[in-house]
Amino acid sequence: MEATTMLRSKWFLPGFSAALGLAFLAALWAGGKPRDGLFSLGVMTVVGLLILLGGRSETIRGLRGDGRDERFARLDLVATAIAGNVLIGIVIGACVWEWAHGRDGTPFVQLGAVAGVAYILALGFLRWRS
Amino acid sequence: MKNAIRELRAARSLSQAELAKAMRVSRQTINAIETERYTPSLPLALALARYFDSTVEEVFDGGNDDA
Repeated sequence: MEATTMLRSKWFLPGFSAALGLAFLAALWAGGKPRDGLFSLGVMTVVGLLILLGGRSETIRGLRGDGRDERFARLDLVATAIAGNVLIGIVIGACVWEWAHGRDGTPFVQLGAVAGVAYILALGFLRWRS
Repeated sequence: MKNAIRELRAARSLSQAELAKAMRVSRQTINAIETERYTPSLPLALALARYFDSTVEEVFDGGNDDA
């Protein structure tokens, strides 16, 4: 039985960051804001470089990929769940706020619905698979 | 979970970094296992036990067994 291994290349997150920057550039360019697009690409490229050259920090190495073992993967999962719960709490709060002020709750209602459906589908799929 | 990793490692004059490299995990993960802040997965626990020519039951203490 093979033990756990470092899960990703160190180029994974920097590459993902650069790809996001290009996506932002394309979207902002198409929306008539090429300067904002170039700025976004620049920011994401700098972020990617900082991650790539992040040195000995366990957090940066885990995010980057080359220091990502089973423990970091578990921490990442828990951190993602916490971030998701915070976001859903904010969406619910924003919905309530909008409704209390006589508005229809857009787009928070839709975001909350997507989150709820995604959670139920994911839970069902994982339960079926396990 | 209580374990004997630190003692087994010390008996072989291994550093945490050396054991981590052998197990293909980070040094911080080995440290977290030794200080009982992290319970390894089954594959990692088996790999550690085999590395020290021992069994999982001898390396890790799962608590009292009243059976």
